[in-house]
Amino acid sequence: MDLHFSEADVEFRARAREWLKANVPAETRPARGPESARFDRAWQRKLYDHGWAGVAWPKEYGGMGLSGLQQVIWYEEMARAHAPHHINTTYIGLMHAGPTVIARGTEEQKAFHLPRILSGEAIWCQGFSEPNAGSDLAALRTRGVVDGDHIVVTGAKMWTTDAQHADYQELLIRTDPGSERHKGLTWLICDMKLPGIEVRPIRTMLQDEHVNMVFYDEVRIPVADVVGEIGGGWSTAMATLSFERGLGFIGDQLELYERVGRAIDLAGRTRLEDGRLAIEDDGIAQRLASIKADTMAIRAMTLADIAETDRTGIPGPKGSMMKLLVTATHKALSEVVSDILGWDFLEFDGDRSAHPWTYEYLWSWVFSISGGTSEIQREITADRVLGLPKGR
Amino acid sequence: MYLAPDAEEEEIASAAAQFLAEAMPISRLHATTGAAVIADMDKALRQALGGMGWFALAVPEEDGGSGLSAVEHALFFREVGRQCGPLDVLAQCLAANLFAEAAQRRAVIAGEHGVALLVPDGSGFRLIGSPAAELALHVTSEAAGIYPLDGLRSENRPALDPANSLRVAEALPAPLASLSGTRIWQLGQLGVAAMLVGIAEAALDLIVEYAKVRETFGRKIGAWQAVRHPCADMAVRAEAARAQLWYAAAALKEGRADAAAHLDAAKHLANLAAHGNADTAIQLHGGIGVTDEHDCHLLLKHAMLLARVFGSRRDLLGRLLHARLDD
Ligand SMILES: Cc1cc2nc3c(=O)[nH]c(=O)nc-3n(C[C@H](O)[C@H](O)[C@H](O)COP(=O)(O)OP(=O)(O)OC[C@H]3O[C@@H](n4cnc5c(N)ncnc54)[C@H](O)[C@@H]3O)c2cc1C
Repeated sequence: MDLHFSEADVEFRARAREWLKANVPAETRPARGPESARFDRAWQRKLYDHGWAGVAWPKEYGGMGLSGLQQVIWYEEMARAHAPHHINTTYIGLMHAGPTVIARGTEEQKAFHLPRILSGEAIWCQGFSEPNAGSDLAALRTRGVVDGDHIVVTGAKMWTTDAQHADYQELLIRTDPGSERHKGLTWLICDMKLPGIEVRPIRTMLQDEHVNMVFYDEVRIPVADVVGEIGGGWSTAMATLSFERGLGFIGDQLELYERVGRAIDLAGRTRLEDGRLAIEDDGIAQRLASIKADTMAIRAMTLADIAETDRTGIPGPKGSMMKLLVTATHKALSEVVSDILGWDFLEFDGDRSAHPWTYEYLWSWVFSISGGTSEIQREITADRVLGLPKGR
Repeated sequence: MYLAPDAEEEEIASAAAQFLAEAMPISRLHATTGAAVIADMDKALRQALGGMGWFALAVPEEDGGSGLSAVEHALFFREVGRQCGPLDVLAQCLAANLFAEAAQRRAVIAGEHGVALLVPDGSGFRLIGSPAAELALHVTSEAAGIYPLDGLRSENRPALDPANSLRVAEALPAPLASLSGTRIWQLGQLGVAAMLVGIAEAALDLIVEYAKVRETFGRKIGAWQAVRHPCADMAVRAEAARAQLWYAAAALKEGRADAAAHLDAAKHLANLAAHGNADTAIQLHGGIGVTDEHDCHLLLKHAMLLARVFGSRRDLLGRLLHARLDD
């Protein structure tokens, strides 16, 4: 057990800090519309041009090939520098699609897509969930029929984040008409400009339209765009999700550590209705300190996880426990800030930059529902960490 | 950076686990007859622990100790916690780190003299530990002192937690030895946090094991989500507290400036994990969970005692709020 950073790690942190300080954009990200995606692409392009793109990607594919520990350092420095949030329109490409193509794609797919993702040229979205297949993903029905060297896709996806901005989609469909559950699925790269695709926004409680329904009416996708095997889509999809369950939320994990400090500062300068500073209220002070302890534990868990992954070579099943703790802490922090800000917390126009705390509060449900709900994370923990008898 | 026990550290932990399961099993705390038993550490157990060197893990070799570190100290006390070990074990260990005088130190390390723990309560003191102890340790975050118990007037109180006798005393005699600085307090905090983590883990193990065998309505209770999900939450609490414990142990070992803050966080999280897990374990066991023959209540009662020493919730959170942390 030790907390020493190697000289190389210390040097890496210093370099990251210096670069971020000089390069984090001064302007805030536009709240919505094509401008927001433009902003994300430009930031990603800047990272790419300066050699900071693809922190977790292997070097041979143009990434930085950072160790787990250096990724921790990178995200800590991003949070410290108030850099643009890494969960933006480039997230699916960088954290899902890219790693999936690296693990399961053909050489042609790699050569074409990876540089485009890294440079911010191509934005991706994830088309897994459907109106009747969310937690139970294997219930999905969108179908594909092989027709020569094409697969003809018909059906509907739901909850597709950023589909309106995306150039490509990771699309999971059923290609074997008689198949059930995990069999007969195929993972496709879907070009979002193909004829027959219609994207319809879903307005959310955050007053935004970042999720969508996507309809497919006989969309012809080349067989060359299958990642993995036709019929082997479940296996490819599990690879995709494993990237998210590994260090996929690392940025959020470490950002919380930074944000609790900002909340404490906020409590030190915000007056409650009775005129006292919020920090002078015992209840608020104790909740903040307790959340601070949780964020310290989250950081320690992140570091412990890396030690374990180093030892075993594979990320363990603890990602689900991490997501449970991170989402609960995220919500608790938002709730205490609601008490600090009083009426100001009720002012909101959907702009994350203008009303960050209220936005984060509303986001807390997105966080605990998308990417596997908290109930599903408890199921996974019960099955894979505790080995309890299966309920399903 | 490696935030998990390495192979050598694991070895010490498993040696401790094995030894304690024989010498000090949690089963010693079950009442066999009507009256409650208080299973204090007796002299034989004390000397057995002393003989193995467990009281002096973190004492330098030239002072008669093992010359190990806060990390091994934490690993040992996590195992002590799993068996609801008495607080005397910690007091003894801290006294071994406090005494500068060689003969006194040797007697404590070997378990010849016993040490109880003194904590202030209003204008008087609470004395936690075996009535056979000759010495008592009082620790604050600034200093620690050892007091002789032979002339001290104390009164016995019925103890909720059968792992330790509980007494009250009015006034203290002059100390035999004292040491200023934070070291004893910090080792104490780490030890208690580790015991609480051990309790949190033991409670989780108990219910997970039971949930795999107990059946209701034709299913194992571990298949019901109303059982599975609180178990998953217990696992998260234990995991968070354990990770922070490792961080605090390593920070203390390395003398980092922010070690105090990490210890406060570790103690706080361990309080929550031990209490929360013991509480949930009782509930999820159903009726058997409230019986004396079951271990669940022992874990709960010991957690309640440990929560009150080396930083109560209020103290810990008060300090933590503005504590600065390093990278
Ligand atoms: C804002 C947002 C963005 C999203 N982005 C994407 C995206 O980009 N791409 C994509 O593919 N998907 C996306 N999703 C979909 C997301 O993954 C699903 O919403 C999620 O998996 C839950 O599925 P569901 O909504 O169908 O809820 P359901 O599965 O119908 O669940 C309903 C409730 O039942 C509970 N439940 C279900 N099964 C069980 C069980 N076995 N045990 C206990 N409780 C259970 C759930 O926890 C939930 O509380 C997004 C969702 C949201 C809200």
